[in-house]
Amino acid sequence: MTKQMNEKELITIEHIEPIIPEDTDYNFYFGPAHSGSGNFGVKLRIDGERVTSARADPGYLHRGFEKLMEYRVPMQNAVLSDRVCVLEALNWNLVHAEAVDELTGVEVPQRARYIRVLMAELSRLQSHLIWYGAMSLGIGFDTGFKIAFGYRDYILDLFELITGGRVYPAGYICPGGVRRDLPGGAEDKIKRALDQTEEMMQKVKDFDNIVFSRRTKGVGILRTEDAIRLGATGPVLRACGMGTDVRKDDPYEIYNELDFDIPVRREGDAYARYLIMGSEMEESIKIIKQVLERLPEGKVREPAKITPPSRVKIPEGEVYVRNELARGEGCAYMRSVGEGAPYRVKLRGPDLLHMIPVLEYLLKGSQIADIPAIYWSLNICPADMDR
Amino acid sequence: MAESLHKESKVIEDISAKFKIAGKVQRERRVWVTIDKDNLIMLCNFAKGLGFEHLSAISVTDWPEEGTFELTYHLWSYSERILLTIKTKIDRANPVADSVVPVWQENAQIHERELHELFGVEFEGNKDLTPLFLEDWNGPPPFQKDFDWKEYVRQQCYDQANERERAYYD
Repeated sequence: MTKQMNEKELITIEHIEPIIPEDTDYNFYFGPAHSGSGNFGVKLRIDGERVTSARADPGYLHRGFEKLMEYRVPMQNAVLSDRVCVLEALNWNLVHAEAVDELTGVEVPQRARYIRVLMAELSRLQSHLIWYGAMSLGIGFDTGFKIAFGYRDYILDLFELITGGRVYPAGYICPGGVRRDLPGGAEDKIKRALDQTEEMMQKVKDFDNIVFSRRTKGVGILRTEDAIRLGATGPVLRACGMGTDVRKDDPYEIYNELDFDIPVRREGDAYARYLIMGSEMEESIKIIKQVLERLPEGKVREPAKITPPSRVKIPEGEVYVRNELARGEGCAYMRSVGEGAPYRVKLRGPDLLHMIPVLEYLLKGSQIADIPAIYWSLNICPADMDR
Repeated sequence: MAESLHKESKVIEDISAKFKIAGKVQRERRVWVTIDKDNLIMLCNFAKGLGFEHLSAISVTDWPEEGTFELTYHLWSYSERILLTIKTKIDRANPVADSVVPVWQENAQIHERELHELFGVEFEGNKDLTPLFLEDWNGPPPFQKDFDWKEYVRQQCYDQANERERAYYD
């Protein structure tokens, strides 16, 4: 019976004309409707299996925040600054708040500075978990994706407890400090979430050799001089041998009082970036533990009473604030002419550079199968690129 | 305080010795200088030679009353750990500036491409200034101060027949 069927099939196949492509050179679109690309696309030219050219296609998330901020007062802009990057809203909150604080010259209370760093590091942790999850998904390792997003929820629970929002904290880190103090019992819950994150990282280490290293070793190699020329910052730059971190080199808030290391690797490939991610999470946990130990008492906002926005003016001046985000260097240039709203705000996110020049450079010459590994190893976020 | 700002003052000294311009140390690790647009490229090259190899950002501030665009170049030195901001002004009616692509290559290219789209500044020497974010946009550069986005939205999106929208737009 089986044999007969096979013979029958063979006969049918013989009648089909084989399709021989005349040309092995074709266009290939990675995104914007690809499940693994985010709101972003890359137009690729492929020869056989090899990418011969790549052209980034951004703009699907452009919301014009820089312009919107020119019409709003700082407390409104604090809420707006969440939306710059969905995946690390609190870090962008901090960038904005620091720019306003430096212009107004307000003395931020010490307790607020500690809480700011605490929240920024928690935000880095959950952002790195997304990085791990998205990278696992990119290389076809769904278990990693689910584990990472599951454990990320423990940190989101903390955000809900402290700020009221799971993803968007609604300007929790605001000019002058933070909106409100840590609620009772928050410290214990943070410690528990850290234990859970450590547990997850132990699980992740067990997957290293079977999945991650095989798909990412030697893929998307970036050399130090190229990285600097292309404007790479943050973990991407640290994975190719450049030991630089804004938290150490240009310290803000209380980072100069804390004890932590800057993980650096020399290989510059996707696997090195993945290893940097793991080490950075360990460092973040270290920072959070120190902050919890030393957390001083006191008020969390200066001035403690909220003034009606119409009466608050930003003094004339200009500042350039640099922060270390989970993805790299995040900066804000703020110019004020003494009005309630800033005259000009320029937000500099790490991904404009990572997703256009760096990505185009790395994809050129790579294999189709390696595209997602390269793409997600850069820890990209289209929201912060388009702004 | 003056002692600790030694390396910041050194950067200003080096620059003013060559270009005869004054600078300002804002605080630790923040140095600001202003230069005319003809010497911009020379100063950028000089700054890169001083170790400012990372172009953090380029920004444009629009001053319609004055009739100028102010360009700010924020440079970071990995070795000196200083942020140097170079400011220059160009004519708003003829917004042309020299491109800094020869100095910072691809990094500068993408920043200039963004500013060309959002402010309409021409960067002479930048070969690729195709729009980045705005699709099928034919209006004026939207980040210019005299582009009234509220009026634009009113004209494009206000459905006057809809009672509910009236409360928002009027």
